Amino acid sequence: MNPINLLKRREFLRQGTLGIGSLALSHLLQQDSRASTPLKPSRFPNFAPKAKRVIFLHMVGGPSQMDTFDPKPELDKWDGRSLPAELTRGQKFAFITPEARAIKSPYSFASHGQGGVVMSELFPHLSKVADELTVIRSMKTNEINHGSGELFLHTGHGRLGRPTFGAWASYGLGSENNNLPSYVVLKDQHPNAGPAAWSSGFLPSKHQGVLFRTGAQPLFYLDNPEGVTRGQRKDVIDTIGQMNDLAFDRYQDPEIQTRIAQYELAYRMQTAVPELADLKSEPEHVLNLYGLNKEASGGAFGKNCLLARRLIERGVRFVQIFNKGWDHHQSIYTGLPRQARNVDQACAGLLTDLKQRGLLEDTLVIWGGEFGRTPMVQEHNAGSGAKTPPGRDHHKECFSIWMAGGGVKKGFTYGSTDEFGFGVTENEVHVHDFHATCMHLLGIDHELLTHRHQGRDFRLTDVHGHVAHDIIA
Amino acid sequence: MKLRALIFLTLISAGATVSTYGTNASDFSRDVRPILSGKCFACHGPDAEGRKAGLRLDQRDAAIEDHAVVPGAPDKSLILERVTTNDPDDRMPPKGAHLSASEVQILTDWIASGANYEQHWAYVKPKVEKAQQDSSLEWPTTNPIDHFVHQRLKEKNLEPSATAQPAVLLRRLSLDLVGLPPSIEEVSEFENAPSEERYEAAIDRLLASKHFGEKWATHWLDLARYADSNGYQHDDLRTMWPYRDWVINALNKDLPFDQFTIEQLAGDLLPNPTRDQLIATGFHRNVPGNFSGGSKVDEIRANMLHDRVSTTGQVWLGMTMECCQCHDHKFDPISQKDYYELYAYFNQSIPEVSMEGVGMFRKKFIGADVSVVASSEDARRVKAIKKQIRLERTALENAKPAALADQARWEKEFLASDREKDIPWDRFPWNLRNGARFLNTPLAERSGDQNENIHALLFYDHRFTGPYEKAIDRLEDAIDEISARTMIMKDAAKPVQSHIFIRGDYTNPGASVEPGVPDVLHALDSDLPPNRLGLARWLVHPDNPLTARVTVNRFWAEIFGQGIVSTPEDFGMQSTPPTHPELLDWLALEFVRQDWSIKQIIKTIVMSSTYRQTAAVASDLIAKDPSNRWLARGPRFRLPAELIRDNILAVSGRLSGKIGGPSVYPPQPEGLWKEISGADVKIYPTSEGEDRYRRGLYTFLRRGNPNPMILNFDGSNRSACIIKRDRSNTPVQALNLLNAPDFTEAAHAFSSWIAEQSGDDESKITKAFRKAVARDPSKPEIKALKTLHQKHRDWFSVAQVILNLDETITK
Repeated sequence: MNPINLLKRREFLRQGTLGIGSLALSHLLQQDSRASTPLKPSRFPNFAPKAKRVIFLHMVGGPSQMDTFDPKPELDKWDGRSLPAELTRGQKFAFITPEARAIKSPYSFASHGQGGVVMSELFPHLSKVADELTVIRSMKTNEINHGSGELFLHTGHGRLGRPTFGAWASYGLGSENNNLPSYVVLKDQHPNAGPAAWSSGFLPSKHQGVLFRTGAQPLFYLDNPEGVTRGQRKDVIDTIGQMNDLAFDRYQDPEIQTRIAQYELAYRMQTAVPELADLKSEPEHVLNLYGLNKEASGGAFGKNCLLARRLIERGVRFVQIFNKGWDHHQSIYTGLPRQARNVDQACAGLLTDLKQRGLLEDTLVIWGGEFGRTPMVQEHNAGSGAKTPPGRDHHKECFSIWMAGGGVKKGFTYGSTDEFGFGVTENEVHVHDFHATCMHLLGIDHELLTHRHQGRDFRLTDVHGHVAHDIIA
Repeated sequence: MKLRALIFLTLISAGATVSTYGTNASDFSRDVRPILSGKCFACHGPDAEGRKAGLRLDQRDAAIEDHAVVPGAPDKSLILERVTTNDPDDRMPPKGAHLSASEVQILTDWIASGANYEQHWAYVKPKVEKAQQDSSLEWPTTNPIDHFVHQRLKEKNLEPSATAQPAVLLRRLSLDLVGLPPSIEEVSEFENAPSEERYEAAIDRLLASKHFGEKWATHWLDLARYADSNGYQHDDLRTMWPYRDWVINALNKDLPFDQFTIEQLAGDLLPNPTRDQLIATGFHRNVPGNFSGGSKVDEIRANMLHDRVSTTGQVWLGMTMECCQCHDHKFDPISQKDYYELYAYFNQSIPEVSMEGVGMFRKKFIGADVSVVASSEDARRVKAIKKQIRLERTALENAKPAALADQARWEKEFLASDREKDIPWDRFPWNLRNGARFLNTPLAERSGDQNENIHALLFYDHRFTGPYEKAIDRLEDAIDEISARTMIMKDAAKPVQSHIFIRGDYTNPGASVEPGVPDVLHALDSDLPPNRLGLARWLVHPDNPLTARVTVNRFWAEIFGQGIVSTPEDFGMQSTPPTHPELLDWLALEFVRQDWSIKQIIKTIVMSSTYRQTAAVASDLIAKDPSNRWLARGPRFRLPAELIRDNILAVSGRLSGKIGGPSVYPPQPEGLWKEISGADVKIYPTSEGEDRYRRGLYTFLRRGNPNPMILNFDGSNRSACIIKRDRSNTPVQALNLLNAPDFTEAAHAFSSWIAEQSGDDESKITKAFRKAVARDPSKPEIKALKTLHQKHRDWFSVAQVILNLDETITK
């Protein structure tokens, strides 16, 4: 940055009400501390993006594919028998053995909409917007444990330390908003991997997901300390600004100018963020869409979906939502339908709401878990060995997800698995391919969005990844 | 050996004009290799398996053999044809940006002048021993560093800056050496007579301070990925603070870096290791562990060992080897076999993870550990308890014959009673059912084992001996409560055979390998043992071209904000070339010459005029060199997370000076530990009293959800070795410092201190300002603070402003 620009920017910053213009603001959340580094790699997007934003609904625990989106009538015949040994031999399982007996799905399936997307009876609301969905039945991952599986789904790597998809998106595309981070995380419960599931890894730390909490204080340290009024705070911020300006005269360090602006932005966020998180301004018919009528106290997932729409509307690039409770080792009869009920209406509501506002077109919505579940039954507690109601173990060989909006086909089903729902038989979409495809929808060639770390150009897809062009509209 | 000899020969034949840092028109290391490495080596480099069309360009002979390079004949060299052709099917590289015209020109010139290769600079031993003296230099150069720096400044048409104001310089020095600000008195004293002698005396005083170890440990703990929990699901707690204290003490007593290395990597393998040397090996027990339900013991072990190889490579060699888990390195001459030879050193350790944890297949750490106590007071208590235990044992032994004499009567009485249900059966080496059954066996038919077991029960239950047994149990519990056990390294008695993992898959072992070191580096002395001790001694061997360079480069980066090599974790082909290669070599040699003294090399750096320059410079100088690579001004950058907090607590008078001991729990937002998936320990035990205000490196680091302040200021959850932290500048940081309870508590304390100062408002403001940033405030600065104070009639706002100044959180 040359001195003349600095001076101009400084005068410019002085003009706003709090000494900061709205244009400058748009940079600041993303502003890098090093003046020499550009705001973002300038060549992205590489081509016209179909999706500008992402809402990723992660069903933590791993929903069962053969009870949701991948019907397996053949499994009924195998119910109670071990699967063919050549299928299961040498496969990794978390808790069961390869000889475990198959168990059929207790749920009935039907096809919906013009596209004939098939789903089980667990999703009565979602089935009404089936024509918005592309269901992928041929997902595959490398990991069979939650923590590492979640990391793999978000970073393409099963161990700690890599940047997440959202961080890459923020890194590649920057921010479209003025007062909010580009990557926001909402959750009802922590995923198993914890904050590593929204980490920026080795990317600059400004790209890490910012966790918005439910409740009165969405961000930590948002409220003034006791006894400090908003007027007082303004005077403190103004005085910090004046003093830092004087320090800038002394040191000419552009970092000081950034800091002045960040303090002013912090002041604005103290009102902007609670306003954003306050759902009271939403009309009743919108709340109803998400299943949030005014008396209901629960519905964390529904609230998070609605909040996601409000964030997206304000230009947030990537909203990551975690819904925990899909780990049905002993509860495909009880826990699974309960969990599906928990999300069904809100998912459908989110798609409907986005569509009504014209946002679905360029917002990619993704629903899915970190892996699938075995066609075989788990009926013993892994620790005590005690007999339990039937459930299914973790499974990495195949699972189902859906996507909507953001340039994917409508009412479309992609990929297939064998008659047991054990392995992919057609059009495999490995997690790396899934990442490559999502990146493509965002206008990014996944092989080009790289970051030099430890002497190597890392990317989300590592050395893998093929775009599944067939699912793109 | 054969392979090594071959590589060596290649290098010799390659280097016709070996000038590692030459400045001739087409310098291989500086100009040519970065192009080949960046655009070609990924497919035509050291990785045999990933190599396309069988062509390799990283070795001269191979490149010539395939006509890719024809020395002296650019027009016949296929490489030039392929990078310039207009045919998109043939054009190289197939993906990514093509070569620019100037890059093509560099290659053309290089081939025209004979296509000479050179060994990568970092794999050649440092050799610059003396700085070129520059007689024209008008700079109060205080040591050779300044000559090296000035040489570059001249080339770049830059002038060095004046010395910083004494107050600012002393603050910088103090923050760099001990991580704490100087007192107002120390500043005044230095300002009054800022002589060379006083400056050096200040350095010596700070280097002798016990806080030196705390400041420099913070950095080392990032490399050691030190934390207080396992990470991943459950995120169980672990006791590793004794290792952290070992680092602080080692730095304080200036343990030479070679010894510092040996004790951490192999203290357990030294002859008759001391307890401290065992604790030092906690370095590699710091790896995170994924102990969740379905994880496999072998998988956890493989991941831990990969982490140890990777961390060792980055910390000591500046080598990034992760990719060699699956294949030969794409850029650097490290083969997959090299990698697994290093892995073999770590694979000698005894099993460290078992399936025996409680709950759903929960794993736990086994392996070696030692007991430690937190303070000398606790140590005295443990000693006293142990003495008591000895007394109880003597009494117990004396009472045993009487109990044995009464055994028959006791057995009847015991079986008739319901005391069986009160016996803590897990105390005994057999379970409840066996215990009961043994008693039913007639005396004559009992085996020796059975008799032994029954005697144990007899002594525990009988009224003659029971009270002593129970007292001993209670006393041993008391010791457990005071002392902790911390993990250390230990090798198996018999050598463990290691294998290459095919495609990095631990379930798919390939050829067997023995412990060994990368062929591209110096050979192992034949008398070194094939264990971690041998590896550690090899790392600090005088022939090692990397360890000293990599280490001084990190020290330099701590002080100047960036390394002479700005990729401190990677000195390989893809690294950024050093800005001052001769200086780096000189520092590395100096470090070894000064017997690896960390304090001495840091003193050498901060004694230089380069370090003492002011950072307050004209804007055109900043524009010419925004990141201060050429060092025409002094270092100025935001403090790391821990030091921001330490500094604010120190300025406000709240900081506790206590050193070491178990980690502490300063206030943090409620519920963070409850969020950790599957965690047993969910309640954050917020500290009371002094422990709320300990230095940041003592804050309990729970990997699953660390203290937000640390993360907000670019600290890490230490899930892996971190060599370089970011320095971001965000609004969340402002909210953190303005609103978080510990910082508002500090501001309250500071405002009381201001109010208590003598003199008028202006003099109070001056003192407060000096306490935070050392220098005197200017008139406009006083005026701004005075206006604020007059408007609100309180010192709290003023205190908050001062504690939030850019200058306060910046060095």
